[in-house]
Amino acid sequence: MNNTDVVLNEIIRNRFVSIADEMATTLVRTAYNPLLYEVQDFSITVMSPTGDMWSEMPGVMVFSQAFPHAVRQGIKRWGDNLSDGDVLIVNDPFETGTHISDTNVYMPVFHEGELVAFCGSAAHWADVGGKIPGGWCPDTTDTYQEGLCFRHQKLIERGVINEALWDLIDCNVRVPTIVRGDLEAQVAACRQGSIRIRELCEKYGREVVDRAMSAVIEQTHTAMSKAISALPNGTHSASIRMDFDGINRDGDFLVCLKTTIQDDSIRFSLDGTSPVAMGPINLPAPCTKGILASSIKGILMPLDPCNAGHAMCIEYDDLPKDSLVNPSWPAPTDSYGYIVGCLMELTFRCLADVVPDKIPAGCYMLTGAFLGKESDDENESTVVSDALHGGNGALFNDDGVTNQLVGNGDLPNNPVEVLETRHPIRVESLEFATDMAGHGAHRGGFGVRKKVTMLADDFSLNFVIENTKDTSAAGVQGGGDGKPGNLTINPDSNNPIVYRERQGALGPYPKNTVYEVVTGGGGGWGNPYERDTHAVLKDVSNDFLTVEQAAETYGVSLIKKAGTWAIDAQATSLLRAK
Amino acid sequence: MGNRYRVAVDMGGTFTDFVVVDTDTGKIKIEKVASIPDQLPTQFVKGLNSFDLNPRDVTQIFHGMTVAVNALVQEVGAKVGLITTKGFRDVLEMGRGGRKPVYNFTARGPEPVVARQFRREVDERMTFDGKVLKQLDLEQVDREVDFLVSSGVDAVAITFIHAYANPLHEEQARQQIARRYPDLPVSVSHDIAPEWREYERTSTTVLNAFVKPVVKDYLTGVEQELAKVNYTNSIAVMQSNGGAADLHTASEKPIRTLMSGPAGGVIGAKALCDQLGYQNIICTDVGGTTYDVAIIDDGRVLERSQTEIASRPILASQIDVVSIGAGGGSIAWLDHRNGLQVGPRSAGASPGPVCFGNGGTEPTITDAQLVLGCFDPEYFLGGRMILDLSAAESAIRKKIATPLGISVMEAARGIVSIAETNMANTIRTKTVQRGLDPREFVILAYGGGGGVFACAVAEELQVPTVIVPSSPATFSAWGILAADYVEDRVRTKVQVFDETSASQIQAMLSELTSEAVGAIEEYGFERSDIDLLRRFDLRYRNQEYTISIELAAQWLDSEAMLKNVRADFVESHRKLYGHGSADADIELVSIRCRAVGKIPTPTLTAPEHIESQKIRHRGVYFGSSDKPIQTAVLDRHTIGVDESVAGPAIVEEWTTTTIIKPGWNCRCDEFGNLILTQSPISSGGH
Repeated sequence: MNNTDVVLNEIIRNRFVSIADEMATTLVRTAYNPLLYEVQDFSITVMSPTGDMWSEMPGVMVFSQAFPHAVRQGIKRWGDNLSDGDVLIVNDPFETGTHISDTNVYMPVFHEGELVAFCGSAAHWADVGGKIPGGWCPDTTDTYQEGLCFRHQKLIERGVINEALWDLIDCNVRVPTIVRGDLEAQVAACRQGSIRIRELCEKYGREVVDRAMSAVIEQTHTAMSKAISALPNGTHSASIRMDFDGINRDGDFLVCLKTTIQDDSIRFSLDGTSPVAMGPINLPAPCTKGILASSIKGILMPLDPCNAGHAMCIEYDDLPKDSLVNPSWPAPTDSYGYIVGCLMELTFRCLADVVPDKIPAGCYMLTGAFLGKESDDENESTVVSDALHGGNGALFNDDGVTNQLVGNGDLPNNPVEVLETRHPIRVESLEFATDMAGHGAHRGGFGVRKKVTMLADDFSLNFVIENTKDTSAAGVQGGGDGKPGNLTINPDSNNPIVYRERQGALGPYPKNTVYEVVTGGGGGWGNPYERDTHAVLKDVSNDFLTVEQAAETYGVSLIKKAGTWAIDAQATSLLRAK
Repeated sequence: MGNRYRVAVDMGGTFTDFVVVDTDTGKIKIEKVASIPDQLPTQFVKGLNSFDLNPRDVTQIFHGMTVAVNALVQEVGAKVGLITTKGFRDVLEMGRGGRKPVYNFTARGPEPVVARQFRREVDERMTFDGKVLKQLDLEQVDREVDFLVSSGVDAVAITFIHAYANPLHEEQARQQIARRYPDLPVSVSHDIAPEWREYERTSTTVLNAFVKPVVKDYLTGVEQELAKVNYTNSIAVMQSNGGAADLHTASEKPIRTLMSGPAGGVIGAKALCDQLGYQNIICTDVGGTTYDVAIIDDGRVLERSQTEIASRPILASQIDVVSIGAGGGSIAWLDHRNGLQVGPRSAGASPGPVCFGNGGTEPTITDAQLVLGCFDPEYFLGGRMILDLSAAESAIRKKIATPLGISVMEAARGIVSIAETNMANTIRTKTVQRGLDPREFVILAYGGGGGVFACAVAEELQVPTVIVPSSPATFSAWGILAADYVEDRVRTKVQVFDETSASQIQAMLSELTSEAVGAIEEYGFERSDIDLLRRFDLRYRNQEYTISIELAAQWLDSEAMLKNVRADFVESHRKLYGHGSADADIELVSIRCRAVGKIPTPTLTAPEHIESQKIRHRGVYFGSSDKPIQTAVLDRHTIGVDESVAGPAIVEEWTTTTIIKPGWNCRCDEFGNLILTQSPISSGGH
């Protein structure tokens, strides 16, 4: 390799990052579906002709880690029969790794007759024709109930639209206009990517581009090897138990993870994980491996643009066959996200003592109240997908934040003023649920408490939550666990009803029904008695803690002087000496 | 009182630029003084005094300032208390959540500007359509403000839920506070940012309260210093939207002045290109630390309605300027992969690049360009500075070339190429976002480094024409002189855009119009001299993103309004996104009205031309060639009107250098602008 190529490699690498960015921009701005333009439930991936990741733009990080696997299945299916102008579609959960609502649309990119790259997007469709509108089926027992399945059919062949296939999609989804709009957005993103990749090949030559990205991947691999070599060799394990699978209340749903750091590699074993569940919490193998790779990448190289090199030091024992983390067709997978979150948490737990400065304590588990109603005389049909933020884990040197799930990354909440304008609901209050946070020298993030009045009749309500018995929000090094969330119907009435587990369609409720949803808190870090006394004083002044909690949990005694709190140093040292 | 001079004062972090236009002769003079943080008002007058003019002869002073943005970035401002609707005091601290980049598991957002104990709730509630659901409890307002004042708060912000739909309660609270604490500065959300989304509106209002005392002190200081030298005419302060406001407005709503500096350059670009006849312009402003890009599409400066400073959102109409960390002082470094990176860290003005000899040890873009022969070490800044070439070489060798196993020249070329392609990537992303093709644009390159990078970036993007204006380093200050007085009014109310709502829309429109016009009239303009710009933010029902459509003056009757606005919306949607239904339901989200008090644009005049042409030559490394090319080096003032210079060539002047790459041609137009064009055959870059 000519040494000056190090510069060109860098230029080409940056170009691929910006190509993925341009594809994401095209997708978001063209989409019809709020899950894409508001909730960022998508991801872009650019790959080599053999399916190695060159660049990505998440969205949801696990989508792009699993995308190469799906494309390789497409290469296997079509062999030499991929042509310039083809656009393919796949959402078979056992190839894409997630659930059937996430549809991968990708394009082989040709330059001067040669295949030079693949680019595509994975996106959560507004509907895919399963038993429940919009996906999110909490109680399916096989893939067939979850929706229409694609395996690398050509949506467009040599630039010509495959009308029959598009027509078939129209006939099988509940909101064909929106799905078609999203599909067009996904195709537009592919086209944007392919134009830019061809320009790059035109300018530098396709061999140069390919060689540059191979070198970038190798460099990244070397840097990861170095980062892992710096860690002490050793084996760590952790496990977590799921509440239930959506169907079977008697089963045991244990997920086990063992990490072995050996010189410059990390090996994962998931032995001991429970057999495949009847209900849809199963996670297909590509995503099981993908989320573990994403976690390691994020822990060791959080700011690096991602490529295949970040996963090359990672090895896996054979995943236990027909288990929660390696189910086979047609096992249900629609609620795959809970185990994704758990595998991330387990990776953190295994490595918390190894790289404490790079890992948060446990995070709350996805909690949300999804409202829906059919149209009536006064109101149109409406769906309120209010995925709430909650407590993230504390850091070794700082308190945890109240934010989106760690695994979901960049997903904003819904403004109250927008919600009330769009839907017949009123938000009565939105505040920190301070009592949910795990205590510690550094405190976990707070949960969120949101109280909402339904301003129309016949709303039904789905309550989404997991890991309420064996929390995901575990404390670290003596820090307390975050508490799990809950849902209360009519909290201020004489007979409030409290739900602490996942619920399918509750209701329908009459107008003026109030619900209050609380999300879980994050885990704390370190012994609360080691918390800086001034931080405790600030917490009490800000109503994050009561003065009693300050004394009991944190060993800090406060007294009120002229209306403001102050530390009673003597009483505090007595308390803390205990 | 004379009215001979117009003066622009553009305050930056390091220097304050002064531009004086003599309206009798059309001549322009330029000066720079240091921006000394605690003496800004006196430096202001010192700069003015350095010109040979009587302040009484100045018609008007235009001012771009960084006081507000510095206060935000350095977090030096008032102790703010917030009064808000019961149940929502945590909105400011919760924010919208999300984490960028997504792999950064330990990321944290910014601390709230107001701690929870100073965020106080009162009983009141509006509905989304502006009806009173619960009356404001004025006694609670009294109690909470008493608490805040006794806690040492020295500025108050008020944000109530849905106040943009009905400001009644915020107004009542403001008056209640004013009666009891007449000197307590109060910022009110419907006044500062009357748009929906409670977090963003609260953040904007609180930040306005935070910087207000600092900006007010500064502007009062300037006014007093100017009065001492008998200047009593108006001072126009540049706002982020590219228009000017008077001192009073700028003091009350300083949050509108954050992008004061970059806005000046873009307004100048528009004024210049209007005169030259260009409609599509990519504005690039290259300083020591950043590369700022803005777009003028079909004669319209592209704006956005939200920005962030230090991760805190701010709602305000402003020119859409995107900034990346790539300027002359940007540092080259090797990352954990041994990958060559440039910026965003900068050596700034101090210590500056290694070759400045002020103690810099990390190689910068300027060092790399010096090594490649782009600058003459003996004649930098028109001979005002001698550069240390060997220090630049050895820094590049030590930090980049040796670890990578390449030559110093290869490393220098690599640093510059990476910076240039990063710049081009930024422009590509920005134009794709707007559905535009950069090849249909010209690049206007200004700022101290504009001319150095312009040809290379244009080649990368296949942009055929580059304009380097006269005195590019002070172009932003000149641009401020082209600003008009501007007042924006906006109202958010989501409603169907059809016959059923037409009369209500028109009522809101005329209300906004008279508010905006009234504000400009207060600056002393006659109604007949005020231009109006009305825009609707529209979307298809169920969509999230809106498109802003301008309402032509002849479309005011409801039938014409509905028909023409719909047609424009559908066309824009198709252009941006490739599809758009002609008859699907459309929603109106916000109505925007802009009143403009026009001020004559400074006319362009021919530059001073010095006949004697002394051409020097030196070896410069271009593109990937291994050998230096003997390149003509000219002084800018020696290039006469309509004269051409074929590349490769280097044009030097006091504050900047313009590089004309091989394959490019440079012509000096009648106003002294350099027009660089690429010969059609070259595809560039190989």
